[in-house]
Amino acid sequence: MANTVIGSSLIIDGEISGDEDLVIQGTVKGKISLKESLFVESSGVVEADIETQNVEIAGRVTGNIAATDKVELKSDCRVVGDIKAPRILIADGASFKGNVDMDVKG
Amino acid sequence: MASPKELSGPAGNTVIGPSILINGRLTGDEDLTVRGRVEGELALTRTLIVEPSGVVKANVSVKNAVVSGVVVGNIAATESVELTRDGRMVGDIRSPRVIIVDGASFRGRVDMGELAPGRPLPDRPRAQVRPAVRAALPAARPPAVPPRPPARSTLPSFASSRPSEVGKAPPAPPPVPPTVAAGAKKKVVVKKKR
Repeated sequence: MANTVIGSSLIIDGEISGDEDLVIQGTVKGKISLKESLFVESSGVVEADIETQNVEIAGRVTGNIAATDKVELKSDCRVVGDIKAPRILIADGASFKGNVDMDVKG
Repeated sequence: MASPKELSGPAGNTVIGPSILINGRLTGDEDLTVRGRVEGELALTRTLIVEPSGVVKANVSVKNAVVSGVVVGNIAATESVELTRDGRMVGDIRSPRVIIVDGASFRGRVDMGELAPGRPLPDRPRAQVRPAVRAALPAARPPAVPPRPPARSTLPSFASSRPSEVGKAPPAPPPVPPTVAAGAKKKVVVKKKR
């Protein structure tokens, strides 16, 4: 599987969509929709609505997250927004503000 | 699945994978490799590499650009733009160095900047390259030796008139007018460089 990395000095203002894993070390504003996994690393900043299968967040995310499988908030992340996913993990040390909705999707 | 650490590769290198579409504005201070699609606007302080699977429909402003895929839009580079043999581009190029190799397809304008301030830097490397290629050429093609010919082209005529000199003189090269030969050689040099 090919992989996409948004490096730490990169700023994207707009929409990202695709069918593969995406690693964000830089800044993304706008909207992200993927059919695979999204990794927001500790240097990553996302101000966007996110639609994916899986999300792992170690950085900062502001926006609503909708995942078809799992959302994982790692210990150093900062997340503001609503999360909707069948599985949601929030690690000790994570900071989060928003609603959680674990309604299983059909 | 590989971990994010493994995926990220060397620091300061961004890859847009083949199934990814980015629509909007993209800015950064690192190299960017595009294997997917980028539409909108792209501004980097370093190198943009568009791989054969990559499509960029954007106005691009970078330091260096290497296009092996498709670019539709204008490219302004502070250093160089290179269209490789797989590169296809429609748009205008503005850069002090523009390299278009055999096989590349391109439609648009090329602007290498002002002659006065732009030339001194790019010219020096060329001036160094050309003599080297010239020196190599005569070995490959003995007949076209006109840098020396001013002296030598007189020799064969001597030789023909004086039988004693025939031994010294090599099989008389076709006496090409030096101006024509120089012109032809420049063309050859340009091809060799590519």
